[in-house]
Amino acid sequence: MTAATSDSLLKKSTGRNTRGLLRLVILCTIAAAAVASRLFSVIRFESIIHEFDPWFNFRATKYLVANGFYDFWDWFDDRTWHPLGRVTGGTLYPGLMVTSGIIWHALRALTLPVDIRNICVLLAPGFSGLTAFATYLFTNEMTTSPSAGLLAAVFMGIAPGYISRSVAGSYDNEAIAIFLLVFTFYLWIKALKVGSVFWGALCALFYGYMVSAWGGYVFITNLIPLHVFVLVCMGRFSPRLYVSYTTWYAIGTLASMQIPFVGFLPIRSSEHMSALGVFGLLQLVGFVEFVRAAIPSKQFGTLLRGFVLLVFAISLFGLVTLTFAGVIAPWTGRFYSLWDTGYAKIHIPIIASVSEHQPTAWPAFFFDLNMLIWLFPAGVYLCFLKLNDEQVFVVVYSILASYFSGVMVRLMLTLTPVVCVSAALAMSYILDSYLTVKSPETPESVSSTADSSVSGNGSTASAKKAAKQEGGLRANRQPLVGIYTLFSKISVVSAMTAYLLIFVAHCTWVTSNAYSSPSVVLASRLPDGSQHIIDDYREAYQWLRQNTAEDAKIMSWWDYGYQIGGMADRPTLVDNNTWNNTHIATVGKAMSSKEEVSYPIMRQHEVDYVLVVFGGLLGYSGDDINKFLWMVRIAEGIWPDEVKERNFFTDRGEYAVDDRATQTMKDSLMYKMSYYNYNSLFPPGQATDRVRGVKMPEVGPVLNTVEEAFTSENWIIRIYKVKDLDNVGRDHASAASFERGNKKKKVTKRRGPKVLRVE
Amino acid sequence: MHFFKALLLALLPAASLGAKKVATDKFQDFHLKALSSAPLKLADKSYDKLTASPRDYSVAVLLTALENRFGCQLCREFQPEWDLLAKSWTKGDKKGDSRLVYGTLDFMDGKGTFQSLGLQTAPVLLLFQPTTGPHAVADSGPLRYDFTNGPQSAEQVHAWIARHLHDRPHPVLRRPINWVRGFAITTTILGTITFITVAWPYLLPVIQNRNVWAAISLIAILLFTSGHMFNHIRKVPYVAGDGRGGISYFAGGFSNQYGLETQIVAAMYGLLSFATISLALKVPRIADPRTQQVAVLIWGGVIFVMYSFLLSVFRIKNGGYPFFLPPFM
Repeated sequence: MTAATSDSLLKKSTGRNTRGLLRLVILCTIAAAAVASRLFSVIRFESIIHEFDPWFNFRATKYLVANGFYDFWDWFDDRTWHPLGRVTGGTLYPGLMVTSGIIWHALRALTLPVDIRNICVLLAPGFSGLTAFATYLFTNEMTTSPSAGLLAAVFMGIAPGYISRSVAGSYDNEAIAIFLLVFTFYLWIKALKVGSVFWGALCALFYGYMVSAWGGYVFITNLIPLHVFVLVCMGRFSPRLYVSYTTWYAIGTLASMQIPFVGFLPIRSSEHMSALGVFGLLQLVGFVEFVRAAIPSKQFGTLLRGFVLLVFAISLFGLVTLTFAGVIAPWTGRFYSLWDTGYAKIHIPIIASVSEHQPTAWPAFFFDLNMLIWLFPAGVYLCFLKLNDEQVFVVVYSILASYFSGVMVRLMLTLTPVVCVSAALAMSYILDSYLTVKSPETPESVSSTADSSVSGNGSTASAKKAAKQEGGLRANRQPLVGIYTLFSKISVVSAMTAYLLIFVAHCTWVTSNAYSSPSVVLASRLPDGSQHIIDDYREAYQWLRQNTAEDAKIMSWWDYGYQIGGMADRPTLVDNNTWNNTHIATVGKAMSSKEEVSYPIMRQHEVDYVLVVFGGLLGYSGDDINKFLWMVRIAEGIWPDEVKERNFFTDRGEYAVDDRATQTMKDSLMYKMSYYNYNSLFPPGQATDRVRGVKMPEVGPVLNTVEEAFTSENWIIRIYKVKDLDNVGRDHASAASFERGNKKKKVTKRRGPKVLRVE
Repeated sequence: MHFFKALLLALLPAASLGAKKVATDKFQDFHLKALSSAPLKLADKSYDKLTASPRDYSVAVLLTALENRFGCQLCREFQPEWDLLAKSWTKGDKKGDSRLVYGTLDFMDGKGTFQSLGLQTAPVLLLFQPTTGPHAVADSGPLRYDFTNGPQSAEQVHAWIARHLHDRPHPVLRRPINWVRGFAITTTILGTITFITVAWPYLLPVIQNRNVWAAISLIAILLFTSGHMFNHIRKVPYVAGDGRGGISYFAGGFSNQYGLETQIVAAMYGLLSFATISLALKVPRIADPRTQQVAVLIWGGVIFVMYSFLLSVFRIKNGGYPFFLPPFM
């Protein structure tokens, strides 16, 4: 906006320099605002890594910094997935860690010894500044309006849809991936416009970087071929398109295959087949165009068209055959669930169980994008005004990304850039036409000259005709006149300013309230209004670090695997890298079975401690009892005869934890560990669970095979030690019963000879 | 005397043979009946006979309530799958090697059985394991299949039954080829191709029309961003009552919505976008100053009021939301 107003004030070359300087200052301010709006959590809490996945990335980065790049590349981690271990170096996207490693080394070379944790915490805000800049560049390719790029940069900088994954401390792959996504798209548009190998190669390199950083690279892998395909269908094939796409595909595919985790997927999995198919199609179309240019016969052209169709059909048939023959890998589950929306729920409960993979309700869109969500369609419509290659890209991108973000909440992240760009297009169009100081003269006096002076399109009639012949938009038929009255200008501009101010306030409010909680540390308000920090997680992890053996195996639900690895530095059975469903189901079975069943499982896996999260005392709803059904479901997927979801519901179909709870529920290890000794906190008969809002039974559960080792201040984390085998060879139930002073029942049955138990 | 003893001894195996023959016959009886019409249609009496112990065969019985007045949607949806499974199993096992009999007991024919089992819900699938013979199982109670996840396919039930009859042949499930559907699809494809060929000269301008594509794109975007996919996946109700006899248009809760609600939201987004497009493109092209002034006021007002309403609707969904615009506080 500032740049737009300065246009009229400053002219000629000094004006250009001043405008350039102003633009730079504005961009820097935008970057600063983008960084600043992500620092809520650092200011409120401290410089700390958030949530779950970032803890793994942080741990991997520490490993990288400590052991060097090649050790990191070959890293086999024996402290997770006990006893299987994980080939970590080959199963992660290394881009994030390597980026922060490089920054760390660069800062040290500049004699700035910064703690690696601070780099990790501040990486995402830092990159968000770059994303804003990349969005500015991308938008400038779309339009000639000087203000659109700056508006898009502001939107991108503070839109909650992007902030949700890039606040300080959210050290996740998306932190750098969104910058790479936008910048790759910018380079692609640039390459397409110029038709140069240089820009195409640059685009491919950044695509390779993107592949190394985030699994979402598949979005680019499919969007660019789709764009090319649409362009070819529209008859917009050109040598520029051919050069840029083939360069991008060849170098980009090679680059992506350098990542061990991706490996040969780009030539084998169906997700990448569209890129290959379009590559082949372009060769054919290129060939046909070449021949057509040489031989001007019309029949020959028709023949060639038939030939192209035939080849396309044959290759499609071959692709389908290869897929069914198993040469090309079938769709990976996560990707498949994007198309067949009912697939995940039936076949892969572990994917369905993740809240990020749920479909998006409309409030989430409004929450994350506010007014941009209704400016978005208007911006897309504006793209139809002048439908060049780059505008087609925005249209294709918007439709594809809106579909994906509707299916999966986390893909809102890929939608946000295009929403910001389109909304900025619409907003800048309005501001540009309503902010011009010069008004057109009233038609009475200048009826003869108005058209030529204002629109510059020639007479009305001819402009109309031209628009019709072009097949232009309905809204664009009349010649441009301008806004006559000052009142119109002021009212529209002030309304838009008000909306923009609401947008800024909304973004700040959302960021501050919804996206700035580290989830490792919880904050609550005391009655007097002061802030109270609930720090049970770190308390418990610190306890584990200080009171257990270096190699004590901790069993917990997979959500907490990365945190235990990162904060307590203890081996875990399962973690958030859910690569082995059976192993997770084993843990689920141990949690959801009787003690007599769970104990052998825990012994077999050498479990020393079991960690459960219990929110009943505090009213913390993200606890294990609420996640319990997923454990049951995942275990049922592997052992349908031993674990049954039905048994955890009462006859009336309720999921209850109080007196009505089913026997299976009350016998399950998870239930017992959550509510063990809970009664002792309350007067008799008064125990209540504040999450479920129910009164607990008079008598609490009895634990025989594990013993309470630690319970945090607010009872959020409870840690149990798995008992060793009894010294005298009794089973745990009778040993515990003896300890309690119960009289031993007479055993009449004589014991047979000892046999080796074989399972 | 010795002769009698010898005779008795000689007859003993025969007697036992006879006894065995009865049991075998029972299975053969049912199996023969099943061959002609699987699954067997049972009533109280035949159910008791079929499941009486001792038995040396397995029985899978579906207890269901098909009549309309019970309103058991699940029963009616599962019935064709069950018939298909029973038919293809029995056909694939004509000799009766798997020793499994399929039966269906409708509530109308077997009220007594439903009462004696204490069943409140339908459908219920019971699998009785043999009590004698080579496949005998110690626990004589029937196994129960759960219909917790909605209607089940024949394949899922087939897998469940096969899991419990592990050392016996499991005839594969064959779905009949759906000729009608194949025919319909072929006709549709051919029809479409013919139509396109004939109408091509008329279709081409439509396909190449920018306005059509713009409309399609905008409608798709509005659908997706207003949560249509959520409705599709979660199968949310279109509207719900508010408990006082009225209609509740907006579902409570942030991650919850009704079908009608998303349509209202999509309409709001659409109107806001349309007003924005008009302000940006149409208004600067109006040649008459007075008309232009009116148009600016109208479209600006539409945006203002709609946005205010949108914010107020969002406040319903998210209780603590602090922002609003004047008309709808």
